Amino acid sequence: MNNPKHFFLTGVFLVIAVTGSAGAMAAPALVKEKQCDTCHRFASGPAEKEQYGPDLFFAGDKFQKKWLENFLQHPEAIRPAGHTRDPGFLKGQRRTEPHPVLNSQETRQMTDYLMSLKTLKESPPLNLPALSKGARVRVKILFERDYSCIACHQSYNLAGLPRGGVSGPSLLDAGNRLRPEWVYQWLKNPKAFATQGRMPLYRFDEETLKQLTQYIMSHTKDDPGQ
Amino acid sequence: MNRAFLIIAGLILWALPAGCGPDPAEEKPAAPPAESAPTAPAAAHGSRAHPVTAQTRQTYQFYCAQCHGTEGHGNGINAPYLTVPPRDHTKADYLETRSDEYLFTAIQKGGLAVGRAPCMPSWEYTLDKDTIHSLVSYIRELCRCEAL
Ligand code: HEC
Ligand code: HEC
Ligand code: HEC
Repeated sequence: MNNPKHFFLTGVFLVIAVTGSAGAMAAPALVKEKQCDTCHRFASGPAEKEQYGPDLFFAGDKFQKKWLENFLQHPEAIRPAGHTRDPGFLKGQRRTEPHPVLNSQETRQMTDYLMSLKTLKESPPLNLPALSKGARVRVKILFERDYSCIACHQSYNLAGLPRGGVSGPSLLDAGNRLRPEWVYQWLKNPKAFATQGRMPLYRFDEETLKQLTQYIMSHTKDDPGQ
Repeated sequence: MNRAFLIIAGLILWALPAGCGPDPAEEKPAAPPAESAPTAPAAAHGSRAHPVTAQTRQTYQFYCAQCHGTEGHGNGINAPYLTVPPRDHTKADYLETRSDEYLFTAIQKGGLAVGRAPCMPSWEYTLDKDTIHSLVSYIRELCRCEAL
């Protein structure tokens, strides 16, 4: 390292290596500027008291890119009673300040960043077949009866109208919002994403896991009647 | 015309099977047994094998209060949306007709397992047995009652 030219080249190489590997993973200044991290966690670890927004450190596993782009520009309520960390959650007094709105350029940058945040080591595409009519009836009964899912989550009744409890995130638009691979992993092992959640733990067999995932993914605002 | 609508709506509501969802497969949960004796005197909870601890109360707030309410009155945030109301854990007249074993099974295996509404989930894989026993003790504290 006594050759100054070497030293310079190594320096350049280091800079490239650092920025290159951090690349998409570096939190854009936008996160700080818009104070997204006062409400959301961008890394796992203990939550601060004020962080009553959902965790985003696995956003790339969880969300569909198109939905995310739309949400950042037109935020909507998903958890009717607020997030489970909201101090008013159990009292029916969720915080109601409006969610920050991003312009289209900010959205592009933020979406790329959020989609790069992943915790799943691998998540091979699921390619689930459409539910047969029989399977659909079976899984609807599981969802509404055996497993009490409907007691905490909004779903659709046979007339395509919303029904169900409000302590869990609404599933009314899950088919546009969530990635099936993530839903599958969540149902299999929610602890991979949240050390403690208010949803009961279940032990589903492989077929039920897939059918429940498919059933949830069939919920969309565009086609509530199905 | 409005009247006719109301009558029809009433009929539909009446015909809905009591359960968490409007599925025909759902059975009507057993009617609560006829009430009898007046409120039992508050029992000596200290003597229970599974005492109520700070952890018990926290567990109740974390999981059960979503439906049963922060004080156990059955008025949690999900309550307005359930076809069968969550049990009021402060009401002795029903809970004293139920044994501790029954309450344990209702919590561990869920409402369906004891012939009641499926809106009450199973906590078998979420809570260990000791925690469930202590929740039974906590419900006895809330209702200030023991099994008759
Ligand atoms: C004042 C607190 C607050 C700030 C600041 C905030 N959020 Fe949120 N955010 C929330 C809450 C609360 C929700 C949940 C809304 C709901 O479910 O109804 C949410 C939801 C989201 C969701 C959907 C997550 C999910 O699991 O449903 C995304 C994505 C998101 N926010 C991104 C951002 C980004 C990016 C920023 C910064 C530009 C930001 N938020 C700033 C409170 C905040
Ligand atoms: C006692 C209430 C409760 C029951 C019963 C319940 N959930 Fe949940 N669920 C929640 C809550 C609360 C969350 C949010 C994360 C957390 O706190 O655990 C959640 C999260 C989810 C999510 C992730 C949604 C998102 O946008 O983050 C899915 C999918 C889901 N539940 C599906 C189900 C299914 C399927 C069942 C039945 C097998 C079920 N839930 C039963 C309360 C419940
Ligand atoms: C998703 C909503 C929900 C959650 C969460 C919930 N319960 Fe329930 N629970 C109910 C409903 C509804 C009933 C009434 C069932 C009936 O009357 O048929 C009930 C009934 C009960 C009963 C009495 C059974 C009977 O004979 O009516 C006990 C005991 C009970 N719950 C304990 C608990 C405990 C302890 C927890 C937390 C670990 C809990 N519940 C969480 C909805 C819920």
